[in-house]
Amino acid sequence: MNKYLLSAGALLALGTSAAFSHITLETQEAAVGSTYKAVLRVPHGCDGKATTAVRVQIPEGVIAVKPMPKPGWTLQTKKGKYEKSYELYGQAVTDGVKEVDWSGGSLPDEFYDEFVFRGTLTADLPADRKLYFPVVQECDGVVERWIEIPAAGQDEDALETPAPGIKLLPKK
Amino acid sequence: MNAIRPLQSTDKAGGPAARIAGWLLAVVIGLIVMASPSQAFGHAALIKADPADGAVLAQSPARFSLIFSEPVSPLVLTLVKPDGAPVPLTSFRLADQTVTIDNPQALGSGTHVLSWRVISADGHPVGGSLLFSIGVPTEAPAVSEAIDWPPRLALWVGKVFLYIGLFLGVGGAFALVWLAGHGRVGQSFVTATLLCGLIAAPFSLGSQGLDALGAPFSRFAEPIIWRTGLATSFGWTVLIALVALGLGLLSLAGPRQAAKPLALAGLAGVGAALAASGHASAAEPQWLTRPMVFLHGIGIAFWAGALAPLGLALKGTSVEGGTFLRRFSRMIMPVVGVLAVAGIVLAVIQVQTPAALLATAYGRLLLVKLGLLVFLFTLAGINRWRLTASAEVGATEVQRRLARSIGVEMLIVLAIFGVAAGWRFTPPPRAIAIAAAQPVSVHIHALQAMADLTIMPGHAGPVSASMIIMTGDFGPLDAKEVTLVLSKPDSGIEPLKRAATKPGDGSWRVDNLVIPVPGRWTARIDMLVSDFEMVKIEAPVDIRP
Repeated sequence: MNKYLLSAGALLALGTSAAFSHITLETQEAAVGSTYKAVLRVPHGCDGKATTAVRVQIPEGVIAVKPMPKPGWTLQTKKGKYEKSYELYGQAVTDGVKEVDWSGGSLPDEFYDEFVFRGTLTADLPADRKLYFPVVQECDGVVERWIEIPAAGQDEDALETPAPGIKLLPKK
Repeated sequence: MNAIRPLQSTDKAGGPAARIAGWLLAVVIGLIVMASPSQAFGHAALIKADPADGAVLAQSPARFSLIFSEPVSPLVLTLVKPDGAPVPLTSFRLADQTVTIDNPQALGSGTHVLSWRVISADGHPVGGSLLFSIGVPTEAPAVSEAIDWPPRLALWVGKVFLYIGLFLGVGGAFALVWLAGHGRVGQSFVTATLLCGLIAAPFSLGSQGLDALGAPFSRFAEPIIWRTGLATSFGWTVLIALVALGLGLLSLAGPRQAAKPLALAGLAGVGAALAASGHASAAEPQWLTRPMVFLHGIGIAFWAGALAPLGLALKGTSVEGGTFLRRFSRMIMPVVGVLAVAGIVLAVIQVQTPAALLATAYGRLLLVKLGLLVFLFTLAGINRWRLTASAEVGATEVQRRLARSIGVEMLIVLAIFGVAAGWRFTPPPRAIAIAAAQPVSVHIHALQAMADLTIMPGHAGPVSASMIIMTGDFGPLDAKEVTLVLSKPDSGIEPLKRAATKPGDGSWRVDNLVIPVPGRWTARIDMLVSDFEMVKIEAPVDIRP
């Protein structure tokens, strides 16, 4: 009996620490139709190696993205067409930032850092769903892809490298 | 009736308990063999099929192909459509180990069953079926794969009695004609076993036909059953056996001056009949196995055939018995030597590794047979070195003891026939090893992507994996990275995760992979479609031991 409890406890502990080791977003909830400040928390490198680049894909429905520059890192964005036209302060918006790259830096495995950008969650996004921001973490010769999105009905905790995500709340 | 009385008196020599024990042993062994789950495993094994089992195809295939572990010829090929309607497939071509079957009609969407029944050089039919779907998988039409027991039992019984006819009958006739001198005690017993063989031979042929077509016992009388049985390699065994049995009868009933050559020809016929079919005869290298089976068969017939007439002669007049015994014991040593050498050579070819003795039904049957043989050799040794010398000079009490001991030997010989007939239903480890070394293939299909995964060889140990990936609608899929993940949660083994490389032929490969244990693994293929998009598909894959 004790053995079972012990192993169950160990599993729980491991499970929790695994969640800590993922790249996550600081603010886990946001209302659709609002401006969201995304803070990507990078808790470690890849397999002990220093992080040299962080790239995040902006999901459809998130517009007017502006990343925050970071000393020591080269900031670049990739722009492209949205799947449809969105309205922002009365203006139609059809294209914008689709990917943000911070590269050329060096974040050792034993240090922690955050990467920030801001964007608008359009009112077209479905509330009460999760919205994912897939992240690719590059280290010296190694790549960690935090890009897994759970399939319908799949437990998010079962994923090895889940994409960071937020829960969308109804429009205020 | 006259013919049966000597048999009864021979049996009495071993005592009723020994007799019952002997028959019980034979029956139990027979039942073990038939109930053993591995008997469903074929002798020629299907190693690759196109379409593969479980495949989903975009359109109706023009032909099907089945590749077996050894050359085969098809007996029954049927395509079962999604609505359950069977379509007999009659147009096929053979090329070495491959059977290519023409598809007579364009198939509609849904899951189809390709059911096959083939026969290989050992004369043993095997059957199976595979599922494939056009467009989308639907519920598979029902196809019964149940084993029909009466034909199997008939096959076993037929074989045992055929062995009795060949070894005790033809071998007995040889012993009477060449060794017994003028007495010929036991001629009626030998005649009875010859007749028993003459009945068992055609009965076996019919049973073989039933087994070949997977037909129920009620169709025993149909000409197609007999034609099919005759067309298999076992047909040759039966035909040669009938000739050998006839020669045996002629040597006893015909003119005395022709008796010796007739009996010798009959004995050679026994070896030839056995060498014409069966696992051992079909094994490679043929130049070695067929002569070995031939010699083994002749050796058995010489030894087993002489036992009953010798026992009966020793019970009767001491003078005749003494002469018979002297001639027999002079020849038996080289004969047993040849018998043993041939048997050992064949066993080594068939079993290959000592571990297979315990691990396979075939090996376990061999162990039972060896156990019986040890017993038989012990008895025979005692007879040869302890009793024969005194019996030859005519010591009556010793002769009676010898006769009793020979009676027990006869029972062991019958039990050995029972075991040997059981081999009909078990694939030899040699064939299992060939089948196990073949790759396993699995088709993994999901909405976003699909893959054909081949693991080679398909058993535990060092393997390599090859993957061909496509989009869910059969289009080309250019993945940036492909990773193979093999997991077996119930074994407590951590998932094996290996990045695949591109050898340049359109496939993805993983080399130097070691699968630690056999069983049902889950194969997952992670395909990095774009920088931020990973598609994961998985399916179970059965790894052989």
